[in-house]
Amino acid sequence: MITDFPSAPLPLPDERDVDAELAEFGGPAVIPAAQRRTVFPVITKEDVFTMLLAQRSDPDKVVADFAGEYREYIGARHALPTASGTSSLHLALVGAGVRPGDEVIVPAFTFIATAQAVVAAKAVPVFVDIDPRTYCMSPEAAAAAVTERTRAIMPVHVHGLPADVAALRRVCERHGLALVEDASHAHSARIGDQVCGSLGDAAGQSLMADKNFPLGGEGGIAFFASDEAYARATEFLERTGIDYRMSWVAAAFGASQLRRLPYYDAVRARNAEVLAAALGETGLFSAPYLPEGHVHAYNMYRIGLHPAEAGLGDLPVWAVKEAVHELLTAEGVPAREWQNTPIPCHLPFRHRDGFGNGYPFTLNPAAVRDHEPADFPNVVAMLESTVVLCRELRSPVEYERVRRYADAFRKVAARPDAIRKLVAEREYRRPYEKAARLG
Amino acid sequence: MERFDTALVLTRVLTSGVVMSIEKNDKELPALERLLTKRSGRSRAVLVNSRTAAIHAALCGQGIGHGDTAVLPDLDPAAASFVDWLGVRAAGGPAPAFDLLSVTPDDAGAFAEAAGRSTAPALAVDLTGLGFGPAAAMLTDDERVWARAERLKIFGAFDLRTMWTQEESEPGLVPGVQFNYRLSPLVAACVRMALTQAATRTPAVTGGTQR
Ligand SMILES: Cc1ncc(COP(=O)(O)O)c(C=O)c1O
Repeated sequence: MITDFPSAPLPLPDERDVDAELAEFGGPAVIPAAQRRTVFPVITKEDVFTMLLAQRSDPDKVVADFAGEYREYIGARHALPTASGTSSLHLALVGAGVRPGDEVIVPAFTFIATAQAVVAAKAVPVFVDIDPRTYCMSPEAAAAAVTERTRAIMPVHVHGLPADVAALRRVCERHGLALVEDASHAHSARIGDQVCGSLGDAAGQSLMADKNFPLGGEGGIAFFASDEAYARATEFLERTGIDYRMSWVAAAFGASQLRRLPYYDAVRARNAEVLAAALGETGLFSAPYLPEGHVHAYNMYRIGLHPAEAGLGDLPVWAVKEAVHELLTAEGVPAREWQNTPIPCHLPFRHRDGFGNGYPFTLNPAAVRDHEPADFPNVVAMLESTVVLCRELRSPVEYERVRRYADAFRKVAARPDAIRKLVAEREYRRPYEKAARLG
Repeated sequence: MERFDTALVLTRVLTSGVVMSIEKNDKELPALERLLTKRSGRSRAVLVNSRTAAIHAALCGQGIGHGDTAVLPDLDPAAASFVDWLGVRAAGGPAPAFDLLSVTPDDAGAFAEAAGRSTAPALAVDLTGLGFGPAAAMLTDDERVWARAERLKIFGAFDLRTMWTQEESEPGLVPGVQFNYRLSPLVAACVRMALTQAATRTPAVTGGTQR
């Protein structure tokens, strides 16, 4: 039978595993090679049954019912289901009133689609640095980038942590700008009682199958806080003929997954807490920062490195990061890079061909910059000093698996000598000296 | 297509656990690509999530973008509006830059024949009419047209094992604007079954299967 059901359970954690030789040097791996796969999304019999039922309904109704239910969950006024997160962001920008040649302020650290959606809206992305603790757009940097042609600020609730919306909102109000959220990492994430997707004038969110809230393949949804914004987006679809519709197949899967989303969110939160407690005791590693009143969705779990705490303060942190990545991967915990250079350093934003012949960048040449990584010191510092757990923790993994993740971090933290040895032997490079990677 | 077959396909793919288009274990998208290239006689297929995406892929694949002109095939108002939105202007001429073919359950059996009649460098095939939501493909014999069109859809041309490196050997292949035009494997699997069945079954004269 073709199935993703695991072939064997993970052994229970054992204190002695932490003191064993590192897997890199021939010791036993904390997570044995045969048990490394983390299943995502979790597909249950309800998903299959809902899908089969949907096949007997009107396809438009399947999509509309899904969008209606999720809109209520988010607490947004209007929703438009789409074929992808990128298209939802495009519609959110259009709804927020972004017009060709406008400037939209985006963080230099995100997935490339955030900035490409701005280009899709025929506007020019203006990249700014992030906050060194939250890794979300810095409100001060955003304020400093506002010009007469700025129309919107688009923060990303990156990794699943809500951005500093209050401060960004103040910047928007001061300058008469729209606030557009990229909530693609932040399903169920909240500030107080307000769910991401309902915090801005409009929002876009990816629902592709690798996100915390997965649809059956590719999908997205745009949210609008006002009738006017919603009307602008629907009028745009009508006028351009662009087909951004969601497939009923994707939507049907989402309908049953939505019912279990709070359960998976709770498992992710629990696992994040277990791991944070363990990381806090290692010295070398630190858990993600969580501001008071914010609920993190943990789409990605970015772990800080503090070489000085392990007597490695004389080594460059990016080299320590590479060594740690190598050692952890050998233990079966692939804590890795997610992004290795600021988005404006990716080829599409160096060449700026856009829709062809440089459009829409040609509409507003004054907004265009040739950027170097050093223009975004907080992004560079983060890229050099952190590693990320992605699907390994997004998946609602078993308690014993998280315990084993924790053991792997303990095991590596206890071996500064090994880290030093790898740094001496290998020829590591800084993240942004490697070719830009999408993920 | 019979509902039972759709149910079977959906259940099969859901049971495999692989529903993501960027999953390296996905077999549904490559399988549909193979079927489309085999049936159409074109060597390359770019799967996308809508008919407008296929039109975009056909134009962008040939390096036709904003501010350029192209000979266009007959387009309905929505498709014409989309091309206009891309900033591509219509030029006169006998040979269009691409052909547009729409497949429905009624004519799916004749797809190979219809595709064979197309002589344009790119063939946009709208598969939405098969009933699984927006779905389409762009077919071509030109490797560069394929390579450029793949780069239009985020992740399109990137190797999952190397984590989607954006390093390009050829400057002409650097992506410009990128849309997420990726097609879902579940949709691709249903489309493939619909096309396969249409070609292998002779319609019953009396009774027989119902749609
Ligand atoms: C922050 C962010 N924005 C936008 C997107 C684009 O979403 P999609 O891939 O569904 O188009 C993604 C993920 O893919 C993302 O991580």
